[in-house]
Amino acid sequence: MSEKIYVWLLRLYPSRFREAYGDEALQLFRDRARDEKGFFASVRLWLDLLVDLAVSVPRQYRHANPALIGASAQQRLDRLPSFHVLESESPRLGALLSGGVLTLVALWGVSVLNGHAGNDPPQGASVAQSQAPAYASSAFSGPTPQAANDVEEETTASLQSRMYGTNPQSGDANPGNFQSNPFLSPKGSEFSQPQAQPPKVQAAAQDDDVKLGAAERHRVIAGAIAILKEDYIDPAVAQKTADALLAHEKSGDDDAATDGAAFADLLTRQMADASHDQYLVMVYYRVTPPDRPRGPPPPELVAQYRKEMEQNNCTFERVKILPHNIGYLKFNSFPDVSICRPTVVAAMAQLNHVDAIIFDLRDNHGGSVEMVALIATYLFDHPAHMNDFYDRKENSTEESWTLPPIPGNKLVDKPAYVLTSGSSFSAAEAFSYDLKMLKRVTLVGETTSGRGHMGLPHRIDDHFAIRVPGIRAINPISKTNWAGTGVEPDVKVKAEDALATAEKLAENKPRKK
Amino acid sequence: MPKRKLDPLPSAAFQILLSLAGEDLHGYAIMRQVADQTEGRMRLGPGTLYSSIQTLLEGKFIEEVDSREDTRLGHERRRYYRLTSAGRKLARSEAERLASLLRVARAKKIFRGDHV
Repeated sequence: MSEKIYVWLLRLYPSRFREAYGDEALQLFRDRARDEKGFFASVRLWLDLLVDLAVSVPRQYRHANPALIGASAQQRLDRLPSFHVLESESPRLGALLSGGVLTLVALWGVSVLNGHAGNDPPQGASVAQSQAPAYASSAFSGPTPQAANDVEEETTASLQSRMYGTNPQSGDANPGNFQSNPFLSPKGSEFSQPQAQPPKVQAAAQDDDVKLGAAERHRVIAGAIAILKEDYIDPAVAQKTADALLAHEKSGDDDAATDGAAFADLLTRQMADASHDQYLVMVYYRVTPPDRPRGPPPPELVAQYRKEMEQNNCTFERVKILPHNIGYLKFNSFPDVSICRPTVVAAMAQLNHVDAIIFDLRDNHGGSVEMVALIATYLFDHPAHMNDFYDRKENSTEESWTLPPIPGNKLVDKPAYVLTSGSSFSAAEAFSYDLKMLKRVTLVGETTSGRGHMGLPHRIDDHFAIRVPGIRAINPISKTNWAGTGVEPDVKVKAEDALATAEKLAENKPRKK
Repeated sequence: MPKRKLDPLPSAAFQILLSLAGEDLHGYAIMRQVADQTEGRMRLGPGTLYSSIQTLLEGKFIEEVDSREDTRLGHERRRYYRLTSAGRKLARSEAERLASLLRVARAKKIFRGDHV
């Protein structure tokens, strides 16, 4: 009877231990039970067993990686330092849960700290912020490289017409993917990159805790409204947003905001509510960034960008031919044409003889308009009108077309598919949207994020700036764009199922030879 | 992180190493030997005993030798364990550590009389 109880108790141990030592443990129990007869001896035996269970069962479950256990003792003998990877088992659910909670707390903490450090509010993370931390570090020795990096003047607005922004949330989420650098103009002539010399930080502007009174708030609001009305792509929305800002101020909604960062956040929310444009963003600089010089970027930035693109194959992650002669191209940005054209040409040459082609943009965070046009060129036997960019301030429209047909290219009449996800941003959306409008591709996957246009910061004073999208993409066919709504796929499936779905579609499609 | 280590050496593991210093023993004999050498203060339960043995085996401080019967205990075959040279070294370093501790204790006149 007592043996049966012990057999049952043995089940509390992990199976690995039971398999190795279950029989031995039972044998030891039998030996003791046989040798320790009598009431007190039995009571002591069972007490021992229960204590033993209480101590050793948890220890067996904590036992992480047996192979490494000896190492630490060995290390003690040898007096040599040693390092080991310790976990080979997958973590327990409880550990995952507590890890998840800790991560959330840490993320929250970081975002709070960020907010108080005077950088952009997270939703306003700009091209500058999300793009090139490496650039900032190389270009600046000043105390606030990131803030400085953010400063863009109106003069660089023309750049907008050629560079899409990238995922504002993706700045550090994906270190493996270097995102295209929107500062690099496709012609290499017009960078809006900060200057190489260290910024002159005005001592007076380093006042950490600028307390805002009603007068300062009004001045900032008035400055923001003036820029909005002058530059924002949609005058009616600009007016509506301006009215909303004034109404909030009048009704005392802003009175509690005496801290610059909090005030900038508040205004951003108010503008987003009125305009539904997430690119309309107030920026607060705790430390006044230097004025941006005009002209080309320093050569070392170009060199670094070139080096990074060379190292990561211009973000072209995979080029392969799938079964049924389906070409597959996964690229995670639309990099600068002047540097990455050879990569694109080589990739497309490799896929020139496929019967269908799949462009995987599920992790693509945008980049250059010229690159959008270059890659799209492979799908047409004539220059195709992809998009127009309307610059409100200049009241001018710049057209974007694919290039003249490429000699020897056999893809012009092949079925083409574009895989999209909620993380496809900006130029990736332009590529998807424009080719969908031209009925040249089938979009498979998820609705994209809907980042239609980017705003560059316009300085209001030493501490505040406002990002105002001044240029709008207008598709020549739909006469609108994907801003806010995202690009709807033709075949809506989960991003992770998109490739398999597109492959099936491509297999079943009658082939043109 | 490994949750169960031999550094610092748990007393159960040290006692097992000591119990095997004289001869190869099977589990139950180790348990009895440990009880003897600790004057009955440490009675290793099966869980503690075999998880310590497992750890020591994995660290190659003890090894399994051919299983055989212990005729005094019946006809069941039993796994016997033997101290390896690494195990002896580990036990020695632990004993030296305790000895140096003892010297300190002695120097601090923790003990009554001179019998230790």
